[in-house]
Order: sequence, then C-alpha cells, then structure tokens
Amino acid sequence: MPYAATRTSPQQHSRVASNGRAVAACAGHAGVPDEVARHHEHAVAAGQCCSVMVQSIAAPADAVWSLVRRFDQPQGYKRFIRSCHLVDGDGVEVGSVRELLVVSGLPAENSRERLEIRDDERRVISFRILGGDHRLANYRSVTTVHEAASEGGPLTMVVESYVVDVPPGNTVEETRIFVDTIVRCNLQSLEDTVIRQQAMAAPAAPHNDHNHS
Amino acid sequence: MAEICCEAAAAAAGSDQKGECAGSRAARRRRMEIRRLRVVAEEASAKRRRLEADEEDAVGGRAPRYGVTSVCGRRRDMEDAVTARPEFINGHHFFGVFDGHGCSHVATSCGERMHQIVAEEATAAAGSSVSDETARWRGVMEKSYARMDAEAVVSRETAGPAPTCRCEMQLPKCDHVGSTAVVAVVGPRHLVVANCGDSRAVLSSGGATIPLSADHKPDRPDELERIHAAGGRVIFWDGARVFGMLAMSRAIGDSYLKPFVISDPEVLVVERKDGEDEFLILASDGLWDVVSNEVACKVVRTCLRNRAPRGGRERSSPTSNLSPRQSSASGGSSSSGDEEAGGPSGDGAGSESDGESAEDRACAEAAILLTKLALARQSADNVSVVVINLRRRPRS
Repeated sequence: MPYAATRTSPQQHSRVASNGRAVAACAGHAGVPDEVARHHEHAVAAGQCCSVMVQSIAAPADAVWSLVRRFDQPQGYKRFIRSCHLVDGDGVEVGSVRELLVVSGLPAENSRERLEIRDDERRVISFRILGGDHRLANYRSVTTVHEAASEGGPLTMVVESYVVDVPPGNTVEETRIFVDTIVRCNLQSLEDTVIRQQAMAAPAAPHNDHNHS
Repeated sequence: MAEICCEAAAAAAGSDQKGECAGSRAARRRRMEIRRLRVVAEEASAKRRRLEADEEDAVGGRAPRYGVTSVCGRRRDMEDAVTARPEFINGHHFFGVFDGHGCSHVATSCGERMHQIVAEEATAAAGSSVSDETARWRGVMEKSYARMDAEAVVSRETAGPAPTCRCEMQLPKCDHVGSTAVVAVVGPRHLVVANCGDSRAVLSSGGATIPLSADHKPDRPDELERIHAAGGRVIFWDGARVFGMLAMSRAIGDSYLKPFVISDPEVLVVERKDGEDEFLILASDGLWDVVSNEVACKVVRTCLRNRAPRGGRERSSPTSNLSPRQSSASGGSSSSGDEEAGGPSGDGAGSESDGESAEDRACAEAAILLTKLALARQSADNVSVVVINLRRRPRS
C-alpha cells in the first residue's frame, strides 16, 4: 500500500487553543456531511488532539455498513486486531464492552473499549477506549457511513474521526501520525474487504441483502 | 558433452602442473573465455586446493555440525521459523532464522522457500561472468530477498491454510504481517551472511566475537535518515518505531509500511579462516535482547570445547566462564540443558560414530543452553537459535 493513498483524504486539524475555556469544539471538519457533522464534533481538551479521515469505497453503503457496525467483530476488517471478546453486553446495545487482543509486533497487546453510539438508521458507530496497554488515554472514535453521489456504480463515503490524549513524552504531531496510520490502514482494509466480498457475492447472489439485522 | 568436459578438465589439470603462477594465469584466462570452461577451471582450482591442503574441506566436503532450537517462550504464539539445509547446493550449506510479527505465515513461508530461492539464484549466478565472489553473492542475496518479499504478499495462499495462521479468511491480503530474515550460507571458502530486520548473526573466530550483521532498528542513524528521506517518520512509542508501529526498519512483508520499511538485505561475505573460525550463531531478538554477543559466544565455546571428540568425557559446567551473577541466573538452565541433551544420544548412535554425534549434540546443547539462558533472563519473545560449528571435520 503506497503511503499516499489516492482516495484517502486526511483532514487534519491543529489543536484548538483553549481561550479561557476548559474545552473547545473541533470545528470545520471539511467534507463531513451535514446530517452527521455533529457526531464528528469532538470536545477537545488541553493536551488532546483530534483528526478526521475520509475513505471512498466503490460499493453500496449497506455493504460497507454491515462490516463497520459489528462492534463484536472488528477483526472482520481491522487487520491489527487478533481477537475480540465481549466482556459486557451483547455487542448491539450501547454500553457493551469488548476486550481486544492486538497482533504481535505493535506497541500494544490489548485494549478495552465501550460502545457509545450505534445508529443503524443514520449509520453511526462510536466507541471509547476504557483501558489497555497502548498509551491511548481518553480515546473516542466516531465512524459514519454515507451514500455518495456517483456517475458510475454505487459509491460510499466513510468518515472516521477521533479525539485522544497526547501521551507523556510525545507531541501532538507524533500522536496524530501514529493514530492516523492505524485508522488509514483500517479504512483501506475496509475497502479491500468490501470490494472482495462484493466480487465474490456478485455471480452467486447479485441482489443479496447485506444488512442482515 | 561429458567427453569434452573431461578432456578440458584433463587439459586444465595438465596446465596446473606447469607451475602455480602459470596455473593462476591460465585459470583467469579461462574464466574470460567461455562459461563452460569456468566450471572446469573452478574444478581444477578445487583440485589444487585439495592437493595443497589435504585435510581441508572442499567441494563435496562434510557438512558442518549444527544445532537448532526454536521455542515459543512467553509469547502467546509461535511466529518464528528456522531452516537448516546442509548441501542445499553443491558444497554449500544454508541456515536461516525468521522472526515473524503480525502473524506466522510470512516467517513460515520464509522457512519453506528462502533456501530454494537462494539455491536458484546462486545456480543462475554461477554461470554469470561476475568473477568477484563478494559481488556475486551480494547479487544472489539481494535478488533472493526481493523475490521472497514479493512472495510474502501472497504467502498465505501459497503456504496453504496453516494451523498456526490466524488471519481471517475474508481479509484479501495481509500486508500488516512480516518477518525478519537472517541467513547464512557456509561455503568451502566463504561465509555469506544476509540480514533484514533485527535478528542477528555472530561469528566467533580466534577467540574474538565478531558481529556479521547489524540490527535494522529505526533509530539507527543511517536507517533514520533513509526513512525520513523517503517521507516517513520514526516515532518513539514504546521504543523507536516506524510511524510508531514497527520496531524494525527492514522486514520481509509489511507492505503497509513500504517504502519506509524495505526488504533489502545487508550482505557480508567473509573468507573462512581455518584454525581460527570456531562457530557461527544465528538467533532472533528473543535471544539478543537479553544476552550479549560476548556472553552467547562464551556459552557456546564452553559447550563445544567440553565436547571435543578426543577430549575427556567428563564435562565441566558449560556456564563456568560466566560471571557469578550470570552463572546463578543460568544454573537452572544448565541443569535443564543436561536433561534435554540426554535424548538425542540414542538417535545419533545409529547413523554416525560416537565422536561425531557427540559434537552434533554439543551444538544442540549450546543452542538449548542459550535458549534457557534467554528464558531465565525473562525474554518476552519467541527464541530461535542456530549454532554452526565451523571447524573443518577431518577427512574420513
């Protein structure tokens, strides 16, 4: 995968200075559709950073959402996750908690995460990191899936934004580079997985409904 | 064809009898003539070396004695692979250690394929016009690593569904998986070491400890410079990591971090020194992170010395040369090593003389002892060790 992925549009934001306020909204997320822009407006505290990334995928939105919505099976497309176990809740209800094991070679082994939002109608999913050995404290992520206008076949836009503490010893830039690398890989893998599933499903069941719920 | 070759060989042999200088010049002229005669010239050269040093190993000599261990240790999964292929090409012996990350299948593929690829490239290069041994082996290794890296992208498909490979089948490719690769080719006259990643090769020669590879860490000054020049970043996140992710700057696989993490090997070709070269150790960082080059060589030297074929059967503690603190830490390991070393003796008796099998046991014991030492020192990784005895075997 070349570093400069042609269809990934990272929208990076400098940290909003706190002008006498404890928190400030991260404003001006270019490219985020209006109907879910509020989900990507993170309260960014001092010592935190945020970022948003957009991935276009040539597939129906329902096919993309069917992978993104699985809080209980993130390893379906997130390649750095080795396994996932629910430790609270059923994975569908807000408040469910999952324990992830990470593949070897990375600076982490595990992560504990809570489902904050899951809206199948608006295709919004959000989780918060509760713990783990990855140095990503107070991490909150939001992913939204949208149908995009396209001349050719179906086109879907996936927007993922996050806010996280900058760990001691690292800079805002370093933290953003690290997390963006992971998010970018996950979005690229999401595209690869969906395209592959579409290719495999097309001859057998061209009208298969991917939204099983 | 065979008859022509025989006649050419006879002519070459005759030419050699006219004197050493004339033979050398004749050999050089033939190398510049036609490829077929180059092989003949090499054979003549080999014959002359056998005449000059009757006890010296040459093409067709005995394979070196070696020992291998590879253990999971404290990691959740075993992602290392080790290969030993004596006589993988005529007169040459292949050894490799591959420490995988992300999953096991890239290292597994390296273990299965790297020696085959090197054999193909070495055979192809043998017919080339490159007369410099160092340049020829460097080319062989660089081509081999590039081919292995290309195969790694599709390695799960070619390797088949290995039980140790946990990648979900729906993922189209696993570009987050990779492996180190430290490879040694032991030839009649040269040692060739190629390295990519942070496994390591260490030679003991004349009592000195000589690293034959340099770890590819992202904060190594030249690697840091190369990564930055390519537009990448090295971030300290539990150690120096490329983009904060990978703790090595070169690897087979890891496509998602290309072109910052490359698979180009660093290749070293050294002449063998009979009477000085003792042994070669290849190991993953599960060993080297907790055991220094010098301590590892002391441990191996003690094991090999106490198992000399003509020496007494009694064995002193293999760790007797270690400092008191280190000795106490590895005492248990020594005991365990003794217990495990008992097993192979039955196997060896059938096929080899007792003296020779004892030295194979010595290499195995040395590898086991190094592994025990690494685990005793709380290594948190898989540990893979190859010990290769470089002393020539007497001709039988």
